[in-house]
This record gives sequence, C-alpha cells and structure tokens, in this order.
Amino acid sequence: MGEYSLLIILFAPFLGAIALMFVPRQEAFLVRMTAAIAAGISLLASFYIFFAYDTAKGGFQFVQRYAWSDELGIAFYLGVDGIGGPLVFASAILLFAGIFVSWHIQDRTKEFYIFLLILAAATIGVFMSLDLFFLYFFYEMSVLPMYLLLGVWGSHTKGYLSMTDPEGRTLRDSIGFIFNFGSNSKEYAAMKLTLFLSAGAVVALMGILLIYHFSGLHTFDIVVLREQAHFSGNLGTLIWILIFFGFASIAPIWPLHSWSPVGHAAAPAATSMLHAGVLMKLGHFSIIRVAYEIMPELTRELIPIAAILCVFSIIYGGLVSYFAKDTKYVIGYSSSSHMGYIFLGMAALNYISLSGAVIYMFAHALATSMLFAMAGWVYDQTHTRDIPSLGGLVERMPFIAGAFIVACMASIGMPGTINFIAEIMIIVGSWDKYPFQVVVAVLGIVLTLAYMFKMMRGLFYGKLDPEYAHTADAKQWVDRMPLLLLIVCSITLGIFPGHFYEVVRSTVEPMVDRINHVVPLITQNTQGLFP
Amino acid sequence: MTFQLDLSAADLLLLLPEIFLTLWLCVVLSLDFSLKRITHQQLGYLSIAGLGITGLILFGFDQAGTTGALFKNMFVLDRLALLFKLIIVGATALVLFMSIDYVRDFRFFRGEYYFMVVMSAIGMMFMASSNDLLSVFVTLEFSTFGFYVLVAYLREDQRSSEAGLKFFILGVFAAGLLAYGISLVYGETGTLIFSDMTGTSGSYGLAIGYIMIFAALGFKIGAVPFHAWIPDTYQGAPTPVTAFLSIAPKGAALAILIRMFYVSLASFKPMWVLLFVVASIFSMTYGNIVAIAQKNIKRLLAYSGIAQIGNVMIGLAAGTKQGSDAIMFYLLTYLFANLGAFAVIIAVSQVIKSDEIEDYNGLNRRSPFLAASMLLFLLSLAGVPPLAGFIGKIYLFIAAMREELYILLIVGLINIVISMYYYLIVVKKMYINEPTDPSPIAASLPIKVAVYVGIAGTVLLGVYPGPFIDWAVDATLMFSNIGGPTTAALPLLPGG
Repeated sequence: MGEYSLLIILFAPFLGAIALMFVPRQEAFLVRMTAAIAAGISLLASFYIFFAYDTAKGGFQFVQRYAWSDELGIAFYLGVDGIGGPLVFASAILLFAGIFVSWHIQDRTKEFYIFLLILAAATIGVFMSLDLFFLYFFYEMSVLPMYLLLGVWGSHTKGYLSMTDPEGRTLRDSIGFIFNFGSNSKEYAAMKLTLFLSAGAVVALMGILLIYHFSGLHTFDIVVLREQAHFSGNLGTLIWILIFFGFASIAPIWPLHSWSPVGHAAAPAATSMLHAGVLMKLGHFSIIRVAYEIMPELTRELIPIAAILCVFSIIYGGLVSYFAKDTKYVIGYSSSSHMGYIFLGMAALNYISLSGAVIYMFAHALATSMLFAMAGWVYDQTHTRDIPSLGGLVERMPFIAGAFIVACMASIGMPGTINFIAEIMIIVGSWDKYPFQVVVAVLGIVLTLAYMFKMMRGLFYGKLDPEYAHTADAKQWVDRMPLLLLIVCSITLGIFPGHFYEVVRSTVEPMVDRINHVVPLITQNTQGLFP
Repeated sequence: MTFQLDLSAADLLLLLPEIFLTLWLCVVLSLDFSLKRITHQQLGYLSIAGLGITGLILFGFDQAGTTGALFKNMFVLDRLALLFKLIIVGATALVLFMSIDYVRDFRFFRGEYYFMVVMSAIGMMFMASSNDLLSVFVTLEFSTFGFYVLVAYLREDQRSSEAGLKFFILGVFAAGLLAYGISLVYGETGTLIFSDMTGTSGSYGLAIGYIMIFAALGFKIGAVPFHAWIPDTYQGAPTPVTAFLSIAPKGAALAILIRMFYVSLASFKPMWVLLFVVASIFSMTYGNIVAIAQKNIKRLLAYSGIAQIGNVMIGLAAGTKQGSDAIMFYLLTYLFANLGAFAVIIAVSQVIKSDEIEDYNGLNRRSPFLAASMLLFLLSLAGVPPLAGFIGKIYLFIAAMREELYILLIVGLINIVISMYYYLIVVKKMYINEPTDPSPIAASLPIKVAVYVGIAGTVLLGVYPGPFIDWAVDATLMFSNIGGPTTAALPLLPGG
C-alpha cells in the first residue's frame, strides 16, 4: 500500500476529473462531492508520505518506475525527496481547500472542477517526477487549465488596477504598464499568462532537450543524469541559463513577473490559491531538480544571478503592493515579492538557507492561499476589490476578519507560524554570503508589514459603507473549513517544525555538499554546438 | 528496358488490399443503381465496411510480416508502405463517417461521392507502394483525379467551384512539373526505379529534375512555397473533402518523399537536408503567423496544416531512420487530431450553417461534448501534453537534434508558442464568450463515432505512445543503414 502512495496522490485527482465527466451537470452537489472525495484521497495519501518519509535514509523514496518508451529513453519514474514531499503535501492541502473555497460557483461547476483537478494533479506530477520528460510533461500540462480557469470563471480587473500614492496621485506600475497595453480584461490576463508561461516552458524544454542530447546518455532519467552527465564550458552555461530563466519565468523572478499579478487579479479564488501557492513554486522546484541536481558545478558559478535579481523582486514587488488598490493585486505582488526570498535562500547555497527556501515555499503556499481565499470571499460578497471603497467589514464578517489577520501575520512571518522559521533560516543562512541582500530582505519584511496592515485596515476597519451592509460572514462549515485547515497546518508546523525540518534537511544537506565540494569535471567537448 | 509480367498467385496476394477494395467498390456502385431501395446512408456504411476489411487485411500483413515487390520493383509492399496504407485507410474510413450526414443535403448526390472518395484512397494506397518515378506519376494523378471532382462537388456554391478550379489548375501545373522532372531524371540516370538510382553522380539535370519533383510533391503536402492553393480550396470544398485533403494525400506524398530521398538520393543528403530545413522553417513560421489572422475555422486549419507540414519536414530534414519514425508517429497524431477537429466542424456547421470562428461563441454552453473535443484536438495540434501532438513534436525535435539541426529546434519551439495563441483564440470563443443563440447543438451518431475515435487516438497516443513508437520504428528498419549523421566529420561527443 505504502509504496503506491505517489500513484494514489497523482491519479486520484485525474480519476476524479474523469469521473466528473460522467456526472450529470444538474447534480451540482454530486459534482462537488466527487471532486472533494478525489482531493481528500490525495490529501490523505500525501499526509502519509509527508510523515512516513524516512529522514534517516533521505534520498528519493516511494519510488515507482514503469517503462514508457525505450526508443526515446523515457520512463514513468516517480519519487519524492525532502523537497518534493512537502510540496506535494502543500499541493494536496491547497487542492482540498480550493475545492471548498469554490463551493458556491454556480456557472458550469462541472467544468470548473475538472480543470481545477487537472491543474492540481499536473502540479503534483511535477513535484514527484524523476524523469525530465515527465517533469516537463506535467509542467506544461499545468499551464493550460489556467487559461480556462481564468478566462471562464475569472473576473475583470476594471479600472482599479491603477495605483495611487498616499496623496492620491495616480502612479504607474512601470514594467506592468509596458507589458499591459492598458487592457484589464480577464481574457487578456488569461492569454498573457498562458503565452508567458508557455514561452518560458519552451525555453526550459530547449534546455532539457540539450541536456538529453549532450549528456550522450539518451535518457531523461534525472537520477542517471545526475550521476553520469557532466556539463561545463559555454554549452553548460547556455543550458543552465535556459533552464534557469525558462523555469524562473513561472517563479516569477523580476523582470519576468508581469503576467503573474494580472493573472492573480483575474483568477477565481481557488485558482489564485493554487497559482500562488504551488504553481509558482514549480519554477523554484524545477530549478532545484534540474539545475542543482544535474549541473551542480555550474549552479555554484551562475546562481549569483538569482541573488542579484531577487533584490529587484523583493523591493519592486513590495513597493507595488504598497501602492496598489486592488486586494488581489496587493496579494499577487506580495507573492512575487516573497518569491525573491526563496531565490535568495537558493542563491546562498548554504544548507540552512536552502532548507529555509524549501520551507518558505511550503509556508508561503499556506499563507498566501489563505489571503487569496479571503480576498475571494470579500469579492464575492461586495463585488469589488477596490480597497479605498471598502471598509468596516469586520462588523459584517468577524470570522473572515479574524482569519485575515492570522493570514497577514503568517505572511509577515510572525513567530508561531511556519513562515517565521523559514524567513529566519533564509536570513541567517544567507548573511555570510549576501549581507546586502539580507538587509534588503529584512527591509522587505517591514514593507510587507506595511502593506498587509494597510490592506487589513482598508478592508475591515474604518467606516462601513451602507452599500455593503448586506454582506455576510462565512458561517457554513464548507466555508470555514478550508481556512481553518490552512491556519491549523500553518500554526501546527510553526510550533512543531521538527519533522518537517528533518525531512528537508535529509535532502538539502547532501545536495549543498555536492554543489559546494564538486571536483572539477573533465572538460566537455562542445564542438557540436559551438564549432 | 523490357517489361515481362510473370505474376504468380502469391505475387498477386501482395495486391490483395487494393484488388479487394476495387472489387468491393464496384459492387457498392452497382448496388447503388440496381437496388432502388438502398439508401445513401447504407452505401456509406457499406463503403466503410469495405475499408474496414481492407484495414484488417493490411493489419494482418503487418503482423505476419508479408512483404515483397512486384512488377520489377515498381510496386513494393514493405512495412513502411503498410503503415502508410493503414493511415490512409483509417483516414478514409473516418472521413466517410463524417460524410454520411453531410452529403445527404447535396442536391446532385447520386451515391457516387463514396466511390470518388474510396477511389482516391486506392490511388493513394498505390502511391504509398510506388517505388519508381513512373508509378509515382500514374498513382499521383490517379488519386488527385477524384479530388478534382470532390472539391467542386457543391455545384451551386461559387466558392466550391472556385476552389475546384484553383485546385485543378495548380494541380495540373504540378503534374506538368512532375512529368518534366521525371523526364530530366530519367535522362540523367537511365532508370526510373528508386533503388537503382543510388550511387549516380550529381549533375545539374538531376538536381533540376529532383527539385521539380520535390515541387510537385510539395504541392501535394502543401509546403511553403507551394501552399497557395490550400486556404481557398480548404474553405470552398465540402468539409469532409477538406478533412480528407488535409491528411490522406499528405500521407501518401510523404511516403513517396521518404522513399525517394532516403533511397535514391541518399548520397546527396547534405544538399537536400538544406532544402528541407528551409522549407520546414518557412512552412512552420508562415503557416502559424498567417493563421492568427483567420476568421474562418477551415482557413485556420488550412494554415495550421501548412505549419504542421513544416513540423513533419523536420523529420525529413533530419534524414535519418529516427526522422522517418518520427514522421510516421506524427502523422498518426495528426490524423486523429485533425480529422477530429474537422468532424466537430461538420457537426457544428450542420446546425449553425457557418464556419466562421465568430459563430463558435459559447459552443461550450450549446454542446459541452463538441466544445471539449474541439479543445482536445486543438491542444493536441498545438502540442500540449498529455495529448498526442506533444509526443509527436518532441519525437521530431529529438530526431532533428541528433542531426545537430538546432535551428529547426529553435524555430519549432518558438512556433509552438505562436500556434498556441490562435488555437487559444478559438478556445476563448468556445468557452469564454457567450453564445448569441443558446440553442443546443446535437451531433449525429456517425459524426460522434468519428469524434470518439479522434479523442481515443489523441489521448491514447499521448499517454501510452510506446507501442506506436515501436511500430513506427519497426516499419522503417530498411533505413537503419542510412542513420549516420550528416556531420560525420565532426567528432562525436563522449558517450554519444
């Protein structure tokens, strides 16, 4: 039973999606229950692998391998290590919570859940693929459902995407403005997201195919490639750059981030949750899985790129969040700012900082998805996301307001939440190598505090506009349960991080050792590419 | 050269599929005018049954390993030919399924429609087997002849007549080029059989002759710069004929291209690789960019077809056994996705009487089944996992990369993103936009069969391609000796 856990986690949502195709569309409750059961099975199995992961042994566990195409050297090869395991767990939590958050969707419920399940299953697939081909396979598969989820069930951004400074002057999001062409429709956001991510994906695919070809092994097997493939010189640098920027576009690193807040703003709540929670981590995860594992030497040489760019991510994202007026836009840019911390943790190549980065991925997934879920709730009730026009909602929705405060605290990194542990580890671990970036990161935390409090005040305190007097709190168990689930996970792991930390450490420690102590490899003949 | 036809019964067995189908077809045609009560639908199903039996015979040959050559090597039946014939027969059967309801509304319909379609299919089956330039010419004209009639079948529709005329004039011009090219090649080499031409030394006459033959075949597959007839013909022709045109003749012509370039021109590989690289880059890029501007779904698929042929030519440019495997696998994926898409178009156009993309607004609300299948087919054409087209594209890219044709890899990958844009525009109309007329659209049973087959193929080839890849690999075993890299002079990488 135990060894098939990964198959259960991966295929429960897929089979759920297939089962949904045969459920009559009038039976809305049956549709939701089918989706919830599929996600529940996945959640239970991922809970099992998270806790059953043998930290003493480390490495890839729960491995499943099936031949797929010998001609092309592809195998259906699954397994999780201390990085993939927690992220699989996070994806399953978010999928389960997301299904309940979108419980009240009335329009084409069946299609919505089919696409949501496919999206989550594909994301889970990336986190457990030990074959480069399937890593890409699931990666690209996760992009397309986003298009429909945003386009069909999303919402237009209307006029409030523009930002104002405290004196009320209108500001522009410079990069976003250049790429935005002034359009705020959900169709535009969906198309932009899909094309951006697909473009990033094909860049990464180019890198993957070059790895496949120039390793000379004609296999996509990551485990074989990490033992036997050696890349260096111009060719290696080129491949590393393709892999890094191809995958970093989904992360999203500055300046490739402009699709992300627009996409967040247009997406329905559950999609934003999965998008910000786990889809963006596909980028970091794939960089670790491909670049760190297969090209350790080049990673040591080239990862400072990430350390430089992460400064812009943190500061730029934070400042835009501070001035933005749209709730989802604030949370979206705060996510892209927080992704900078992960890049900083990854760049420092220290085992504390890299563990911190991995834990941060998990922690951020929980915190930001709570925020998105509640921003979605507020939007459903008030039909606006314009912060200045809202206020005083605490009177109408005390539960949401309370949960929102907890989520803000988690996002800021208050002690007691898992985010605190992750942030401290990144900051402590990176200090030796990148003191400047650490200073920026600490300032970024202050900035986070500022915009989170500003948003909280704007939404829940002050005077309640009589227009919103009819709004309702989350009273049903289906509405409260997902938020409580996320809060409980965040706080429990924040207070008892022991096992989680051991899981991550068992993988990160050998990886960092490998990167920092690799002996120079035989120089590769790169004549084929650069004659 | 003297021809002696000494055929035994065992030899004729190799021709069994073609002979059987011809006889069956004559029976069907005579039933049409001898039995008063037989309906056109029944004729259609009878023709499909004939194709089904032919497919079984071909499959039996494939499993039993029946191969051989006839008529002094003019006609070869190898596994390559068998696989191409299966693709052609399968495509024809699917096209007939789509036609059964569509042709009922033809004003001048007398049942000869099925005869024309299957006759063209027989011509293309011979094309897949033709192993010399003369039979290339005869079979190519044989198969095209049926199309001249079929394209212009809607006599009262001006567009159809225009399409027929354009197709005819350019087709005849291509035939002229082909004949001229053949005569030049024969003049230079003194032989017509592909396998006898290996080792001939290069000359200008030979080069010009082959470029002319390439142009004529490029016309059949619709590669840039021989694509000009495609959009108008696709738009004007009856939709099942468009579907037929979009896959079967391309398959048959590719069989000839592979044979001709792999066998008789193996020694000039560096030269024709360049030809295919250029044609491939232009086809992909031109097809995808122009497709963005299309307002009519048939024209959109016409341009996307040009781009898909550009993808296929990546395999020809690789010029290796793996390249030909990838081409055959890609054709299989293209067969299901493209025919499926056309089946949806027919189902929709029978209700809304329009092929404009604008009229697909809100298709998801009007028919969730048709919208979902169209979504699947378009995404497969775009190359999105887990669908067949993705595996096909990766296979082609790997084949090209082994030959160090990185430029094709880069252009091909960029084109995936471009193509995604216009396929997603259609998806947007179907899913995001609201319908102007929310009445439901129902598909008839035969069309549903075609759509289901398309879905099954698209998904199966995507998630479990192993056996099909192995099948393609086995079909081209005869090319394993020409698998060497073009750049043999360059040192190979360690372990490579």
